[in-house]
Amino acid sequence: MDRNAVLAVLIEQIRIVEPALAEQEIKAEDSMAAIGLDSMSRQEVLILGMEALGLNLPMVQLFGPRNLGELADLLHAKLQG
Amino acid sequence: MPSCRDDSAAPVVTGIGVATAFGYGKAALVDGLREPRPVFGELQRPGRQVPGRAAPFRGAELAAPPERLPPRVARVTGFGGRVAVAVLAEAWEEAGLDDLAPERIGLVIGGSNLDAREQMLTREAYAERMQYLLPSYGYTCFDTDLGGLCSSHFPIRGFAYTLGGASASGALAVLHAADAVRSGRVDACIALGALQDLSRYELQALAALGALSPGESCRPFDSAHDGFMFGESCAALVIRRPAAGGKAYGRILGGAHLANGNRGPEPSLAGEARAILAALAQAGLPPEAIDYVNTHGTGTPKGDETELAALRAAGVVDAAINATKSLIGHGLSAAGAVETAAVLLQMREGFLHPSLGLDDPIDDGFDWVRGAARPHRCRCALKLSFGFGGIDSALVIGAVEEGA
Repeated sequence: MDRNAVLAVLIEQIRIVEPALAEQEIKAEDSMAAIGLDSMSRQEVLILGMEALGLNLPMVQLFGPRNLGELADLLHAKLQG
Repeated sequence: MPSCRDDSAAPVVTGIGVATAFGYGKAALVDGLREPRPVFGELQRPGRQVPGRAAPFRGAELAAPPERLPPRVARVTGFGGRVAVAVLAEAWEEAGLDDLAPERIGLVIGGSNLDAREQMLTREAYAERMQYLLPSYGYTCFDTDLGGLCSSHFPIRGFAYTLGGASASGALAVLHAADAVRSGRVDACIALGALQDLSRYELQALAALGALSPGESCRPFDSAHDGFMFGESCAALVIRRPAAGGKAYGRILGGAHLANGNRGPEPSLAGEARAILAALAQAGLPPEAIDYVNTHGTGTPKGDETELAALRAAGVVDAAINATKSLIGHGLSAAGAVETAAVLLQMREGFLHPSLGLDDPIDDGFDWVRGAARPHRCRCALKLSFGFGGIDSALVIGAVEEGA
């Protein structure tokens, strides 16, 4: 799975958590907060995303990324082990 | 017949929302009370049946509620929450609560351990993948989430809390809401009898306890009574000060909520009689003023016998009497509120519903309404609700004269 596929997985989870974004374009430069997800919804996306990717990481390791692209990079790196 | 006391200071009910197996809304309930149709069948909702059990659990289940929540909220809202919002909306709109300051509106939710079925399904779904349990379960698992849901969807800013009283919860919510209005803590208070979403575990244990009927119907006070049928339901009643305006269904003239000292399911003759007398005393009425009793009437032999003995002990023997659970089943946490709604709707419509399955009453000394609905201009009703854990409650509800 490449980094863009990881990003697509994340965007899919965002649209599950916030169905109102179903038709809205979501880009790598977007942050979840900027597109309207509150902290609880962001946590839900992270857990759903990890399950979809088969990752099992402490949440603390997911802190840091400033947008979805950086989050996808981080998760992609974890997938590579 | 002595007339019901016209206590113009007593809180009034000005809005009702309800959901039963007859359908969503008051009109469906009134139709069902007037001409009951069978609602019991094998329970279908996921998590209700025990695989391999010889006799599937029976009862009555609600249709899907009208969706009133945005999809983002609906995703993290269980069945009981979506039903509550639909029911509360009906009561809210009828009572015109948008005209009140949110800080003057309260919400008392009757019920505890409300989402047992969905919590069981969650545990089963995540048993092998606990690391992916959704964080939202961390707040939806508490009954308080229902208060949060309702007060985020409706402008309720006075207070919102849940009140546990097992099968008396709905009636206790009415009592506490009336107290909150009477004391001036708020100007309007919603009493919500929340949907009790039982799982197969509660059903199995209630069956083992002898509380749940193994048969096909619920027959309170009939010689063939053998327990209750579970019936999903939910009701909301808006209680306001009498001067609030709008057409009232009836007045909450008095009530009682007491502990009888039992721990488990045992009924208490002394406790039930004491609750009836205390409610009458608060209403300032003698027992003969009651012209209609809406019983707790679950259909368990000991419960039925004890309830009739308590009515006799309290001197309430001449009133017309029926059991709403024979029609729609037992909603547990919701029952007391749903049945209070049924009392008020019958009061307004001028009839009493028949008790179903009451072919051979265990006591012929009462004025049973059976066979068919009976025209009746109710002036003063007694509503009884009892709960496991030694909880006895009684409400005295008075009619509002035309034009009042």
